[in-house]
Amino acid sequence: MTRIVSPRLAAYVGLAAIGLLAGLVFGRVELIALAAPFALAAVAGSAFAREPDLRATLVLDRERALEGEEVTATIELSSASGADRVDVLLQLPRALHAEKPNPLAFRLAPAETRSLELPLRCARFGAFVLGPLLVRSHDRLGFNRWETRLGEREPLRVYPTVETLHALLAPYETQAYVGNQVSRAKSEGVEFADIRDWTPGDRVRKINWRASARRGGGLLVNEQHPERNTDVVLFLDTFVDVESEDHGGTFDMTVRAATSLAHLYLQRKDRVGLVSFGGYLSWLMPASGTQQLYRIVDSLLQMNIVLSFASKGVDVLPPRALPPKALVLALSPLLDSRSTAALLDLRARGFDLVVVEVSPVPFVRPDRDELSDLSYRLWKLTRDSLRARYEQAGVPVVEWIDGVPLNVPLEEVAAFKRYARTARA
Amino acid sequence: MLTYSASKEPDFASLIAGIGAVGAVLLMFVLARRMDQLLPWALIVLGSAYTVSLVVHGSGIDGGAPLVAAGLLICAELAAWSLDEQHAIATERPVVVARATALGALVAVSTAAAALVIAASLAPGSGLAWTVLGAAASVLVVALVVRLAHRTAQA
Repeated sequence: MTRIVSPRLAAYVGLAAIGLLAGLVFGRVELIALAAPFALAAVAGSAFAREPDLRATLVLDRERALEGEEVTATIELSSASGADRVDVLLQLPRALHAEKPNPLAFRLAPAETRSLELPLRCARFGAFVLGPLLVRSHDRLGFNRWETRLGEREPLRVYPTVETLHALLAPYETQAYVGNQVSRAKSEGVEFADIRDWTPGDRVRKINWRASARRGGGLLVNEQHPERNTDVVLFLDTFVDVESEDHGGTFDMTVRAATSLAHLYLQRKDRVGLVSFGGYLSWLMPASGTQQLYRIVDSLLQMNIVLSFASKGVDVLPPRALPPKALVLALSPLLDSRSTAALLDLRARGFDLVVVEVSPVPFVRPDRDELSDLSYRLWKLTRDSLRARYEQAGVPVVEWIDGVPLNVPLEEVAAFKRYARTARA
Repeated sequence: MLTYSASKEPDFASLIAGIGAVGAVLLMFVLARRMDQLLPWALIVLGSAYTVSLVVHGSGIDGGAPLVAAGLLICAELAAWSLDEQHAIATERPVVVARATALGALVAVSTAAAALVIAASLAPGSGLAWTVLGAAASVLVVALVVRLAHRTAQA
């Protein structure tokens, strides 16, 4: 432990010396009497100094939690020799709030073990490491203190909450494996697709007797749309984050939306991949299953906005990160020109692209002067023109404002795709 | 303490009160701005007010000196305690009680040591040098007793 002696000790020795000297100079015994208490206090301060033998442990009741839940940290302190005053602090990141006093000062009797329960409210998602504890021990009069770090580091993962989505976006094309998405192809399935002429090899149960009788002159069979899975790539723009002090920002909205979408697409047996396109480029190959969900969420927790001026394009991504016929669902505030250019590049390469614009407008507060107001309006007009550019390229782009459920922009995209037709050469 | 010092010498009350006021203002500044490095200077200025009253008084030993010493020590310790608590740390009651008890004991013992010094100076045949030695000896004895008592308690 690091021992720190209070400057008061040296000050008292100095005052005692000044008193004694003054007593000698002025020939007054009263000044010596004035010095005696300070000399005694300095001696007492040194006499009572003993290093406490402190032991501490830190344990969390669980390693994983959801946003808004409470996690309890149990701190146990003990000392064989006791301590007149022990200050203990568990340093917490901004996303975790202690529901009881932290730090706390208390007294430890010799051989006493004190257990403190500190409820922590998880205000925001993230991957955190708590500990070690900062412990400071004082002697009774505060002349000496000892500081150290005790306890192990405990990991804690707080996952974003999953929003309930009523419907998901259906990509234009499906993949070859069985899933829950009705394909536009015709094969074995449940959904009725078409009627065609009977060919040798068709099963008897597929014959549409009514249509065959109505037409006459040959049998007609039903065709169905098969259920296939789809590939979905969540494309996250992590160049820029616009946030406000009281409630999150565009990056928080992006991560929560990505978690909800990944959760629901994976439930439908679709393959979901992730691309973090920003200052730090990372990707996850599309895969399905619960393991992929945990991979995606863990990747989202470790994602950060990293400032970068490097020029980047989608050509740096490996081809398997963006499989053909995949639905690329981009979540972006459309602030950085590199991400807007990358998205248009994806469209030009023929990807089925959807852009959910995580609107930074609610997080921006212009100043009251005329120039700031004009700049703000010009900026909003620029954003409208960028949106129009995407729509001209056939990319559905919807603005998602903070506080609006994710269902709303997804429904707008579905409506756009319903009435838009892909031009094919 | 200042009132006592000023009342001892009414002719110089304004001077003593002025010096004391400077010390008091400096002490309040130390507490308000949390500048603990200036605390000894505030005590020196306050002590100087008493010193002035002693010097102008002339000969004769002031029997109230132990109480003035205790007052100065209480002032210093309470100011230091206030500065120690400047960080908002939730403190349990036993910690406060323990420190208050220790402070009370220190003040009581210090007052006794100061009284011992005055008493030693009043003894016939004593000179100032002997008084200084006696003061130092009394402090050492008390310190040794405390140390031994502490070691016994630990054992």
